Amino acid sequence: MADPMPMTDSPITTVAPGWAIAALGILGALAVTAAMLDGALAARAGGGPGGKMGGPVRPFGEAARLMRQRRRTTVEADRLLWRIGGAGLLVVAALMVTVVPLGEWTIFDLDVGVMWFNAMDVMVWALVWLTGWGANSAHSLVGGYRFLAHGLGYELPLMFALVAPAIAAETLNVGAVAAAQEGLWFAVWMPVAFLVYLLGVAAFSVWGPFAPAIGTDVSGGARAELSGVDRLVFEAGRYALLAAGAAFAVPMFLGGGAGPLLPGWAWVLVKTVALLAVLVWLRRRLPAFRPDKFMEVGWMLLLPAVLLQDLVVAVIAVWRS
Amino acid sequence: MGLSDAIARSASRHAHALVVEVPGSWRTRMAAERNVAARGWRLAISPADADVLVVCGEPGPGLAEAIEGIWHQMPGPRVRVYVHAGDEVGARLDEAHTGLLDTDRHRRDAQQRPTASELLAEQAGSRAESHGGHGDTDHGSAGGHEGMDHEGHEGHEGHEGHEGHEGMDHGSHEGMDHGSHEGMDHGAHEGMDHGAHEGMDHGGHEGMDHGDMEMSPGGIPLAEGGEDRDGLEMDVLQVRLGPVLPHWPAGLVLRCSLQGDVIVEAQAELVDGRVRQDDEVVGPARGIDNIASLLALAGWDDAAAEARRIRDTALEPGDGAAGSELERLRRRVRRSRTLRWSLRGVRRLSEEDAHARGLPADAVGDTYERLMGMLDRAVAGVAATAAGDTGTRTDDASRTLSTDHLPHLVMGLDLATARLVLASLDIHELLAGQAEHEVSHG
Repeated sequence: MADPMPMTDSPITTVAPGWAIAALGILGALAVTAAMLDGALAARAGGGPGGKMGGPVRPFGEAARLMRQRRRTTVEADRLLWRIGGAGLLVVAALMVTVVPLGEWTIFDLDVGVMWFNAMDVMVWALVWLTGWGANSAHSLVGGYRFLAHGLGYELPLMFALVAPAIAAETLNVGAVAAAQEGLWFAVWMPVAFLVYLLGVAAFSVWGPFAPAIGTDVSGGARAELSGVDRLVFEAGRYALLAAGAAFAVPMFLGGGAGPLLPGWAWVLVKTVALLAVLVWLRRRLPAFRPDKFMEVGWMLLLPAVLLQDLVVAVIAVWRS
Repeated sequence: MGLSDAIARSASRHAHALVVEVPGSWRTRMAAERNVAARGWRLAISPADADVLVVCGEPGPGLAEAIEGIWHQMPGPRVRVYVHAGDEVGARLDEAHTGLLDTDRHRRDAQQRPTASELLAEQAGSRAESHGGHGDTDHGSAGGHEGMDHEGHEGHEGHEGHEGHEGMDHGSHEGMDHGSHEGMDHGAHEGMDHGAHEGMDHGGHEGMDHGDMEMSPGGIPLAEGGEDRDGLEMDVLQVRLGPVLPHWPAGLVLRCSLQGDVIVEAQAELVDGRVRQDDEVVGPARGIDNIASLLALAGWDDAAAEARRIRDTALEPGDGAAGSELERLRRRVRRSRTLRWSLRGVRRLSEEDAHARGLPADAVGDTYERLMGMLDRAVAGVAATAAGDTGTRTDDASRTLSTDHLPHLVMGLDLATARLVLASLDIHELLAGQAEHEVSHG
């Protein structure tokens, strides 16, 4: 790719920057939806008498609790880095959705939108690690390093999973990738890339099987010392990342706003929520992937599989043109 | 006002409780956990996450001190309740709920609590006190403590009414300073040329002693280097696990030297020595509780919650309902390939190993096999209870582990697997070992 990136005629309209507020609102609503769903599923699993109080309203109660709770700090905490880490997840999630087109509108019609998303998800490495490091606490630090160990396992497969749709669409513009899927969603003919991408989303959201970084066995790991609003922001950041990851999958793998009857923006939301539900549900089904063991899976299984997927996609793309 | 009241009410309805089991009071702890779940609260996994501290049983001096430390780490609004028996759990937690709603009280609490530096000074003081025993005889400065004590007491009005042992600790803090001065003087007598860096030398030789305090930011000793498995130098961190730690054997304190998250050295002891058991009849609930812990440590919250629910059912008298649910849990666990993949091969014990460590024969195998064994035993136990056979302590006598053997079981493992292994041994009672005896008297 020695040429400068070709300017694509994107089928997308860039909206005024003020609409970013609306995008944030949608992201927030999706994150709350994810949290409510998780609460409902947790209540169902808890069953019995304990279930009735929890349920979908649980996240609001938790938020109230954390807003009332005092912030705390630890001795000799690296407070600046610690706070940056905790609050950063939410910021990264917001930056991710700026390149996701909602039907025909987008905040930021970037020619390298796919790379932008990738860059944002790599930032999560630094943020989770800083959250673990900043608190100056052993459990917290172990949690931070566990995330890096997971990162070594999931990041390259995730990157190569994002490469597949980009090769097929011959562009890194997210809107153009969505438009290139007329008739056949990329998720259908590149399922390996799609699945690896979803794993990657769970991983950078420190979610479900990728939660050892905040695991019970290390007293909450990276978030062990967070309380009050700091913990609220960290948790909100995780849900927002999950939502942003699901939203980005829609133009990349699920045909963007394409669909019958409903307008494009509605289809994007419907698909996002459906994917989000799958990701939230995943947590119920799977125990943790131990970071040391997952590294092997990442390099020996996921990476070769997704590279093979890229090769197949590339061959098909060449043959078609 | 209306809004902040509404937030307070909602917050108190969703409180997180950190449940502490005094060794032996497992029945009370289970009742507390059950009640916490029933009122829609959650179990906290760290002090930072907790609003309510529920102490089950009557803690001895060692555990009481650890609980005090946990209490200081809770962010607040915070409430602490002591539950002495399973049947008063409901009333105590109701009190805790009411306590959480009392915003004025928490505001006062927030203003009055000691700062971290005050607490550290206090802690350093008590540490110097314990070392002081040796220091005094070495340096002959026993008389010095008294005078400093009273001086140190002034200007600490802010602490008033906080804790009974305040004065004593501060006194000993002063004592520590005094002690180190003594040390310097002493050194200077020995050789003038050493005088300049005496303090450093002194600290280095004594390891844990006051010398460290001076070189440690915020009173926390810096990690020292040590050779890692690959032969390169890596920091060694001293971390104490327990005695207040969820999914951890009650009363166990494991002093670990960590390189990264690998335990390179460990020393186990029981806080406050011997364990008093709650009662004679054990039944299958104990084992199911250990299954719940293992599943929680393996990161499978859903299955752990299910196991806890079954445990609570099994605790109810004369009910065979736990049987079918347990069967379902066993199937679910057996079907999980991820769990098998994650636990397979973790700390495989041979028959000789198990025998040498005084473990029951079912500890043979890896952690996955031990989990399956726990499930099988639980199913059999529930069936036996349903048939009218109440398990007695004699069945239980073999499920013990001496703290002497414990370090060998976890050394060389990382924190995650060490905790999985410990939970998989299905220990019902820890016995104070010989080594500990020496430590406490040495």
